[in-house]
Amino acid sequence: MRSGLGGSDGVNKISTRGKMSNESFITLSMFIVIIVVIGFASIFVPNFYRPQNIINLVTNFWYIIALGIGVTFLLITGNFELSVGGVAAMTGVLSVYFCQSAGTSPNVLANGLGLPYGVAVALALLAALGIGAINAFFVAKLKVASIVVTLATMSFSRGIAQIVTRGAQRNTSLPDVYGVVGNIFVVGSLKLAVFIMIFFVIIAAIIEKRTVFGRRTYLIGANMQAARLSGVKVAKHITILYLISSFLAGVVGILLASEYISGTSSRIMGVEFDVLVVTLLGGTAIMGGFGSVIGTAIGTVILAVIASASTGLLLRPEWQFILKSVIVFIAIMAQRFALSRRNL
Amino acid sequence: MKVQKDTLGQLNVPSTRSWKSILKGSYMFILLIITVVILSVVKLGEVEMFARGHFLNWDASIVNLFRMAVPIFTLVGGFTLIIISGHIDLSVGSALSLSAVIYSLMVLNGFNFATSLITTLILGVGLGFINGFLIARLRITPVIATLITMSLYKGIARLIVPAGVSAIKGSETRTMPAWINNYGREGVLAGLPAAFFVAIAVIIVMIIVQKGTVLGRHTIAIGGNMQAAELSGINVVRTVWILYVIVGICAALAGVARASYMSLGDPLMGDAMVLDCLIATLLGGTYIWGGEGSVIKAVVGALIIMCINIGLMTVIPPYWQLFIKGAVLVLAVALINYLAKEKSL
Repeated sequence: MRSGLGGSDGVNKISTRGKMSNESFITLSMFIVIIVVIGFASIFVPNFYRPQNIINLVTNFWYIIALGIGVTFLLITGNFELSVGGVAAMTGVLSVYFCQSAGTSPNVLANGLGLPYGVAVALALLAALGIGAINAFFVAKLKVASIVVTLATMSFSRGIAQIVTRGAQRNTSLPDVYGVVGNIFVVGSLKLAVFIMIFFVIIAAIIEKRTVFGRRTYLIGANMQAARLSGVKVAKHITILYLISSFLAGVVGILLASEYISGTSSRIMGVEFDVLVVTLLGGTAIMGGFGSVIGTAIGTVILAVIASASTGLLLRPEWQFILKSVIVFIAIMAQRFALSRRNL
Repeated sequence: MKVQKDTLGQLNVPSTRSWKSILKGSYMFILLIITVVILSVVKLGEVEMFARGHFLNWDASIVNLFRMAVPIFTLVGGFTLIIISGHIDLSVGSALSLSAVIYSLMVLNGFNFATSLITTLILGVGLGFINGFLIARLRITPVIATLITMSLYKGIARLIVPAGVSAIKGSETRTMPAWINNYGREGVLAGLPAAFFVAIAVIIVMIIVQKGTVLGRHTIAIGGNMQAAELSGINVVRTVWILYVIVGICAALAGVARASYMSLGDPLMGDAMVLDCLIATLLGGTYIWGGEGSVIKAVVGALIIMCINIGLMTVIPPYWQLFIKGAVLVLAVALINYLAKEKSL
């Protein structure tokens, strides 16, 4: 046992006895948890077992998985990222604002800049990257605690969304092209956004497992000093990760704004906590050095099943706050227990 | 970064950097004066609230500011101690909300002031105890542990409020007793309520704890280097646990003051508190990685953030609030980082 408070006990040890890696072990056990949870939900909640319901579960939570990719990578390096929800809201609102026709309507919220759709989206993504750059500058360059910096940019970016929308939403005088991307149905009820999310997850999983960049991410999280001494440019690496995370959040924001054809300042409020919950459920270690994007996706499914089951059981929505916190607590303790038993 | 690392430089501050060290000790006072001057001079908009343009008027504006500042004054001392110890408590806002909900529920159900207050304080001890258990005993990272309890406390607070109602408050059938305002709103001395003087007392106790007790010295030692503190015989688990219980009590007290001021218990009323406390503590020059900081300066930081809050209500549209707070936090972090001496991770 480490003596420091909050150490990730035993998580960083590498098994060398020909067993599967700790990571696959955690992913596999989370998969078993999914099956158990779905089994219980199917028994207690009427009509839960229907395939359409299971598909809806995943597709309704696509944005959490998409936001979780960047957060997982950063958490693996030992840094927090709480600004994703704010960045997504900001990007959505800004893209709407840039795209709205430049009129002189008495309603201030109906007047935008009248830019073409492509330019509007590009500029909004640029703004998202700007927030990522602020995060990166303070965390990687100035070595400020990432929790403080991303908490600040969280309110900063959502604050921009609130200013642009006057605390409400912008949804008038938008060109028809704006609502297209978010409302393309590829197969049945599956939207394009879901496939973009799956595409991102696959790319991220490949980067994570098969590239030098991915392996260096783990090295930084496991031992930053060692990584630095062995020639990894830690600051540059973390900068890239924050930029990627903000970019993904921006894409999510634009897709969501397009789906609802409106830029709302309170869009996915509080999603930061959910994203952190699913990364932790997926086995990513709090102190870094351990975790996977696939695990995050599995964690999201667990959260989706539980959220849906609690609604199906006619519990008040407030119960989800309590359920989430209890689940995260159990997940952290169970993973620690399993790994410490495994690596005795 | 081109910072010359001089081992003697930390003991013997060279004259070229002395302006910086003077600024480091006093910038929060300068910021406070600047904020007050700006808010006293600026007169924008037409909506009349809180005696606009009379920011320095005692009866109209400053009393109101102090009354609104009671919760953050009550909390910021304990919060600063937690930050000095190198930990963080993100659950203070939810603990405040839950305490306010419980307190107003008890008052609504006919309990007297003393019973309600003591029950809420015991609840605060319990909430802090849970945080301390997760962090000190189970060794879960403070950020995650307090995020868990943040969600937990908020969920409980929301569940206590009946479905379809936004807060615990008086209705036609059941009125909130009028005396609920006595503690947090009615003036006792110079127009200030009793809760304000309780908050001042809490701050004084926290200053004494920080400067004059073993607990305070242990807190600084733990924040400076936890391994070293543990090896030199400090009971880290117990110290951290006590600190979280202290913050829990402060949050409960702040919740009582808030519920008494608003005469209702809203499960969302504490949501902005974490950000405010963090900004106040950082503006007060507390080092975010722990090891150094000052309760008094954090109180000055709290005064700045309250001036900004009141200013945002009176002279600037409310939807600017989140942006300005985020910007202030970013700037505070940059300023403190610039003024702080170089520290390796």
